[in-house]
Amino acid sequence: MPDLDAIKTEVRRLLADGVVEVVVAFKPGDTPLHPQPAFFHSPEEVDSLVHNGLCQNNLATFLTHLPKTKKVGMVVRGCENRSVNALIVEKQKSRENLYLLGVPCEGIIDWRKIVEHVGEAVLAVHENSDEVTVETREGQFNLSRNELLHASCLRCAHRNPISADILIGEPLPEGDPNLARVAVEEFESLTNEERYAWFQKEAERCIRCYACREACPMCYCTECFVDHIEPRWTESGATPAGMQGWHIVRAFHQTGRCTDCGACERACPMDIKMTYLTEKLNNDMRKKYAFEVGLDIQTQPPFATVTLDDKNRFSV
Amino acid sequence: MSQKPKIAFFQCQWCLYSPADQNWVDTQLPSNIHLTKTPCTGRINPLYVLNAVQGGADGVMISGCMPEQCHFKTGNMAARRQLEEFNDFLNHIGYEKERVRFVWLDLQDRGIIQKQLAQFEQDLEVLGPAKNLITRTKIAEGGLNA
Amino acid sequence: MNLILEKHALPDLLQSWRGNYDVYLPQKMERFSHFMPLTDNSVLVTHEPHNTRISPKALFLPMTEALVKFTRFGGYEDAQQVIQPRIIFAIRPCDAQAVQLLDTSFIQEAYTDPLWLERREKTITVGLGCHEPCQTGFCTTVGYGPFNKADLDVLLTDMGDAYLVETLSKAGEDCFQGLPCASDEFVEQALIVQRNAHDQMPVAFETENLKEKLEQNFNSDYWETVSQSCLGCGVCTFLCPTCFCFDIVDETQRRERVRNWDTCMFRTYSLEASGHNPRPSKVERTRQRLSHKFVYWLDQVNQIGCTGCGRCVRYCPVGLDIRAMLRQAQTLPFEVSHAG
Ligand code: SF4
Ligand code: SF4
Ligand code: SF4
Ligand code: SF4
Ligand code: SF4
Repeated sequence: MPDLDAIKTEVRRLLADGVVEVVVAFKPGDTPLHPQPAFFHSPEEVDSLVHNGLCQNNLATFLTHLPKTKKVGMVVRGCENRSVNALIVEKQKSRENLYLLGVPCEGIIDWRKIVEHVGEAVLAVHENSDEVTVETREGQFNLSRNELLHASCLRCAHRNPISADILIGEPLPEGDPNLARVAVEEFESLTNEERYAWFQKEAERCIRCYACREACPMCYCTECFVDHIEPRWTESGATPAGMQGWHIVRAFHQTGRCTDCGACERACPMDIKMTYLTEKLNNDMRKKYAFEVGLDIQTQPPFATVTLDDKNRFSV
Repeated sequence: MSQKPKIAFFQCQWCLYSPADQNWVDTQLPSNIHLTKTPCTGRINPLYVLNAVQGGADGVMISGCMPEQCHFKTGNMAARRQLEEFNDFLNHIGYEKERVRFVWLDLQDRGIIQKQLAQFEQDLEVLGPAKNLITRTKIAEGGLNA
Repeated sequence: MNLILEKHALPDLLQSWRGNYDVYLPQKMERFSHFMPLTDNSVLVTHEPHNTRISPKALFLPMTEALVKFTRFGGYEDAQQVIQPRIIFAIRPCDAQAVQLLDTSFIQEAYTDPLWLERREKTITVGLGCHEPCQTGFCTTVGYGPFNKADLDVLLTDMGDAYLVETLSKAGEDCFQGLPCASDEFVEQALIVQRNAHDQMPVAFETENLKEKLEQNFNSDYWETVSQSCLGCGVCTFLCPTCFCFDIVDETQRRERVRNWDTCMFRTYSLEASGHNPRPSKVERTRQRLSHKFVYWLDQVNQIGCTGCGRCVRYCPVGLDIRAMLRQAQTLPFEVSHAG
């Protein structure tokens, strides 16, 4: 588990020495299940900083909320670090204006799974690497951490931040890179009709609240394709065509940009699965172009580049 | 199938076919084929394809120039990367892959476009009318269609 | 009238309504419950969290609905929507209260929304009180309660094996005809259950002077503080039973003019054609959301525009909690106005 005191000490130092103007991290929420993203401006505020398995957001999403030239510090896990890198590749921030405090990550706990097990009346949550202890009015429950992890974290191959300025805590063993592929292949082994039925079931529950978009670090367009009125790209309402269109294109616009952090899925109020879409695209990018998102801050995603080799890439 | 399959056909305005062929495309295209000309194959946004599919096309055909012959140098190649992937992606959610077809046309080859369209039409007839993703349907009372 | 309904008799009763009504009741959908039409094998779901994920306002103001259909050659006709008489079963008191609040907006002397009115007139609401109040809800704080009767035709109290059925209107009475009357003793017990539930709920925040504080601190840093981590999504407002903003859009491909839910938390909500946006950031948008509920509703109809259902608290993706935001607002400085 991350050493909270070490994180706080470093954050305080950054703010006191003026290395950065603000540090983006988490603070406790009003219920133990929902820690909140928070912005720390002075060393005194840092006492309330937390970092635990229930911190469900990808903090990189706030990078584009802040002015480009602001010196920002951020406590990042594996996927957040890669999202930050992807944003740097897309020129949304320059590396000089960033200070990354890396924390090796043991995965995000899906709070809905806790509620499913023990109900809403959660008083406190304690966790270690194997177990999550939940206190409620009815008593204490010990749950296996692995069972509570979000699907993206179960198949995560890069738990350790790869380009942090300082790493807090010892690196963890990396995940198996094949897990992601296996998940996609499993879905692909279904028939067309089965896949379509699954897609319909998921997409057509959408209420078009766009929490998935707002939670995603890579969805930073000031005008999203669904906000266009003329031309109208897809139906605006919660109609089958509109909901499907939204899901198809939101995911497709993530090609070569998504780090499979799963923040979109966790933000969704309707429990809609979305990473089975983006993972397919990620998998293809790995397969066809040997491209993995966010591993460095130079390599352009495949859709932003073209080479003449391509003429042999496609048949016809 | 009593009705001919509906085909959305995207053509880059620079890849003019041989005069006779282009004349056929511009004036004699059968009514089940809907032609959209774009300034470059690279301008064919995956959203165009989605719109055609959702709007009820049974098939989408995209024609572009041969590699290295693009008026804008690499528009056709950039399009290929995206559209190929988009097609794979539609297939991932259960849309028949065969319903979206790319053709890189050698402009010297006479009658090629008629041949390609006829072939596509024939293949679509075998597949039958598209069912999935044609979703301009009724709205459910109380929301949520699932 | 007070009646007793044995729980085992409920499925048959529900089915008996089907001939004359469309019956909607909370049923399981994935990991939550949703008001869906009754079928032969519907199962009522009322356990935690008590509320359906989407509030039943969607049955009166659908997420998307067609208003007008365009015909060829420039004509148009009303989008014919046949709305059957219907019963909404097991609606929670906070949600029913919300529908009543929305009446003040949709049914006015100057303009009445015909679609809203029709759905309202054709609906019978059977409420289910919350004998074990939920954790995130705070209905008592905003002046309502777990057995609030507003807008209900019938109120049910869960008494273990049976429900106490309090009929509150003629229409409600007709639906439950033929049930045995509840004994005074049974009613007495039910009242205790109701009172206990009410007393169990803590005060989430003080409402006294809240309006004045929010009003007078319109330009305070407070708004910056509480909106910092907001993402600007539609979760809190779309799930909220009292949010009713909509946007009217011409869907040319459907040949329909539709209205969709819209929300003040979206950046496009107040964006003007010129490109100017009077609420340019999440600070102004958050201020609008809170002020609408806790200031403007009071100005207009003298009621708080939040029924304490707790949905926004539960599902905000960044854990922003309206209760905590308002507790913080209570610490703001303000001056007592002597005008009135
Ligand atoms: S995706 Fe990986 S790095 Fe990101 S939170 Fe999950 S386990 Fe951690
Ligand atoms: S699409 Fe989802 S999983 Fe991918 S980067 Fe965005 S939030 Fe993360
Ligand atoms: S968060 Fe969920 S409900 Fe909201 S737009 Fe995204 S998929 Fe739809
Ligand atoms: S749900 Fe939360 S993040 Fe989304 S708009 Fe509301 S307060 Fe902001
Ligand atoms: S503001 Fe929140 S608690 Fe109040 S009625 Fe709306 S969703 Fe429920």
